[in-house]
Amino acid sequence: MSEGLGNNLVLIFKRRLPFLVSAVLVLFSYAPLNVVFWGSLRPAIGAACVYFWLQHRPDLFNLVSVFCLGLLDDVISTSPLGSNILEMLLMYVLVNNTSRLLNAKPFIVLWYGFALLLLLTMFVRYLVVSIYYSHFLPPSLMFFSYMVTIAVYPLVSLLLAFVQNNLIQDDV
Amino acid sequence: MSRRRSLFFRLSHIRLLVRKFALVILFLAAFVLMLISKTDSEIADRASSVTTGIVSPLIDVLVMPARLIAQSYDSVRDLQRIHHDNIRLREENHRLNMIYDRFRALEIENKLLSDLLNYVTPPQADFVTARVIAEESDAFAHAMIAYVGENSVRKGQAALSDKGVVGRVDQVSGSYAKIILITDINSKIPVMVEKKRVRGILSGDNTMSPKLIFIPLDTTINVGDRIVTSGVAGVFPAGLPVGKVVSASKGEIVVKPFSNLEQIEYVKLVDYGLDGILQDQPQDKRK
Repeated sequence: MSEGLGNNLVLIFKRRLPFLVSAVLVLFSYAPLNVVFWGSLRPAIGAACVYFWLQHRPDLFNLVSVFCLGLLDDVISTSPLGSNILEMLLMYVLVNNTSRLLNAKPFIVLWYGFALLLLLTMFVRYLVVSIYYSHFLPPSLMFFSYMVTIAVYPLVSLLLAFVQNNLIQDDV
Repeated sequence: MSRRRSLFFRLSHIRLLVRKFALVILFLAAFVLMLISKTDSEIADRASSVTTGIVSPLIDVLVMPARLIAQSYDSVRDLQRIHHDNIRLREENHRLNMIYDRFRALEIENKLLSDLLNYVTPPQADFVTARVIAEESDAFAHAMIAYVGENSVRKGQAALSDKGVVGRVDQVSGSYAKIILITDINSKIPVMVEKKRVRGILSGDNTMSPKLIFIPLDTTINVGDRIVTSGVAGVFPAGLPVGKVVSASKGEIVVKPFSNLEQIEYVKLVDYGLDGILQDQPQDKRK
């Protein structure tokens, strides 16, 4: 009986692991690393995590997880509440609509796909937040942040792939 | 029996509808959240404050290994600098001793003149030194979260580095304070040009260099002019160093903050006892 309960708890934990790992990475992206320009170039880790999990384990990363990750990013940030949620939900929609094109493709294709989809999601967020403030935000900082996100995507996917291959079995 | 079946049918029907329109509902929720945050409602402030209080300790724990590595690296690097610093500090000490003598003379003169004019001295400021545990300065926001511990900190207090003003406290939750930097789009600080005593507003725009706005049209501002707080509105006292003008052309005056806002490890949260326009909400006040 207790063994069955324990197994169930482990199973529930494993099913939540993609969200938990993504949440930890989002929190870590706010860490003050005391590196020049790090603050200005903070990568959009949340969007990278959403893209990775929806490509590899969409069954473990549903719409509610996407919303919660965006909400977490929003409450730490001082950017308008809901703007990160919007970006991640948009990523969800785009990934779902392009899954046929990107499914089971080599990493370089997935990376390229991420670059394209992120450009679109960040641009929409940029427009929405600019309308919110009635003022165009500096596009250069957004561009740098976009480039850094593309650059760190292989690292993020390496880490998440490790979690997927070692901590989450296929039967979960 | 049939009533129960009908209720079950209705519930499953609602569930199906929610599932079908979940994406639309969540998109709408995101927009509603944006509208709520735009209206500056107390509910949004309180919710954000509570969540910051919950999430901040997690960030604090997460950055601990990174901080230890950075500290170890700094220690090794500092060893190399000690010799040069020693020479530089001896020279500086000599220079400061001379300045100190002059300062003492001026202090006595100032006291005598203040007594003559019956001048009321402003109250001494209380301050808390807080460690920065999270930072954000991208295209969408410029802010940081600092650990204040059990100290009394309230909304609107000035946040200073060793070089000048870096921002103001926006939220206090638990042992953590959210600070809006002077470069943030929501930051508007009453300032003045130190030498000319011309007043204006330092307005952040999410770039690394805020702009000086609302200055009289007939004023000439030069590159290199120092910008200090004006004390108008009663949030910041007058005379705190903020930055210097780096560009004054095409009707746009760009100011570079004295503090390097990207590499702040500790901030001083100063309470000058001023009850300005940023009034405390009950949840912000802690003892």
